Amino acid sequence: MNQNKAVLEYSATDQMVATAAHQIKNSDVVYVGVGLPFLAALLAKYTHAPNCTIIIENGIIRTTSFPLPAATDTLGSQTMSDQLTSLFYVSCLGQAGFISTGFIGAGQVDRYGNVNDTVVGDYLNPTHRWPGSGGANDVMSFCQRTIIMLRQSKRRFQEKVDFITCPGYLDGRPGQREETGLPPSTGPSVVITDLGCYVFEDGEMVLKSIHSGVGITLEQVKAEVGWDIKVSPDIEESIPPTEEEMRILREKVDPSQVWVGGKRRRPGKEP
Amino acid sequence: MNKVMTMKEAISKYMKAGDILFLSGMQHGEPSAAIHEIVRQKIEHLTLVSCLVATSALLLGEGLIDKMVTGYTSQDERSYAIAKAKAMNRLPVFEEYSHFGVSLALFAGQMGIPFIPTKSQIGSDMLKYNENIKSIECPFTGEKTGAVRAIVPDAGIIHVQRADADGNAQKWGTVGVDQEGINASKTVIVTTEKIVDSEVIRRDPNRTIIPGFRVSAVVEQPWGAYPMHLAGCYSGDMWGFYGETGPQESYEAYIKEFVYGVNDWDEYLKKRRAIKGEEYFNNLQINMVMSEPIVTGY
Repeated sequence: MNQNKAVLEYSATDQMVATAAHQIKNSDVVYVGVGLPFLAALLAKYTHAPNCTIIIENGIIRTTSFPLPAATDTLGSQTMSDQLTSLFYVSCLGQAGFISTGFIGAGQVDRYGNVNDTVVGDYLNPTHRWPGSGGANDVMSFCQRTIIMLRQSKRRFQEKVDFITCPGYLDGRPGQREETGLPPSTGPSVVITDLGCYVFEDGEMVLKSIHSGVGITLEQVKAEVGWDIKVSPDIEESIPPTEEEMRILREKVDPSQVWVGGKRRRPGKEP
Repeated sequence: MNKVMTMKEAISKYMKAGDILFLSGMQHGEPSAAIHEIVRQKIEHLTLVSCLVATSALLLGEGLIDKMVTGYTSQDERSYAIAKAKAMNRLPVFEEYSHFGVSLALFAGQMGIPFIPTKSQIGSDMLKYNENIKSIECPFTGEKTGAVRAIVPDAGIIHVQRADADGNAQKWGTVGVDQEGINASKTVIVTTEKIVDSEVIRRDPNRTIIPGFRVSAVVEQPWGAYPMHLAGCYSGDMWGFYGETGPQESYEAYIKEFVYGVNDWDEYLKKRRAIKGEEYFNNLQINMVMSEPIVTGY
């Protein structure tokens, strides 16, 4: 892989997608949200996880690959599915504990993995409005592990979010999710950004790997976190995408470069 | 009983100002033609219950909605529909749920029960601002759980691939929140690509999403879900619609030309074809995948 690094050109977005894809196991049932999660799920399906089951909120359950959808429900993502059903049905699968892995985007995430997709500032008089939960609250409430993907900036990595749309580990106290009534052994497990990858230890976000292959440094990562982030003692370099993964990403997952190409942006510059 | 009528008749007869309105089609096959007719008839003070219905932005922009029961709506003022509603002092109240929350409220409505327990939304701040989601104690275990209050829409509209004149309606592909939403609704309007013989329905009755006796009106309307896609019928142009109705100037042009500037959806389609060109519509044609017919009988 290190041999590739010298010749292989890839962006921070490519690294994000590859790191996310590596999280998907062959036996996983993956609930995929709109955007980058689709790229990760498709990359995994074309490479190391051909048997994973992909669930899309409108009511799509499938084990074959499909053209990258520009939303969640398209005729491409529907056609030749294993089952076409409803949002109700797939959400019940989650609530009853049958979805191993959830993949969501996020407006903001905080120290304890709480996600804000609603407002910045006061709810009734906000300085910024996102469209709201969609299915994200359901995914993070139900799935055994939820992986959050977002581009990182200090504004989006706050110590405490203004509004909890999707509950993480709340204020970090152990057992709080369960006390609230959320299913046991659920919650955010990994956060993947264009700078690095984070895990949760005792309900708190910990920096686990840095995208060094695209030139990111620890200082850069720390500068884009709104609190004094814990750094794992065995911090590592993110495993870069392989030549094969990059080929598949460009030729099969996103041949028209809608996401990986068209939306390729410099790290840390996102709103 | 034959319930076939025009869109104009169906909307004026079965909808009224102040209705709680359910719109089907969660990013798949929404009743666009019916929505345009509601705007044309200026049926106002609506409470809208729906998930991801693209053309409902027109109801919002034209100031017809008092309250939106929603899981996901752009409320950013960079959206012209929002800015316009706000300028007219017609910005609705947003009652926010997760998508499953909206689905559950409708499911409880369909079941005829006052509320339904759930593990979704608890632990979130949505409960602070939405009095129709609560944290309660399970009466059996004493553990905390969530509860969502039932919603019973006054009117529900669903667009389907085929229905018979009685209203037996069949939709396939993803059904989002259609099943619970349309079955929770008191009055049901079915709009359909094609009215088929009842025998067609009865040879494949598992596909029926709502039975005729629950339906008040049936409207035959080809391309009734355009600009959204509809399984087995046509592909969509959702992003084209968002682009066209996003900026102020083109939104106003769209409303003038394609809502108030036409009498009905057939005229709308004719105008779209003239402006967009045949090739645009040819590109929406699908490569058909045929399934094996199912067998019934005794």
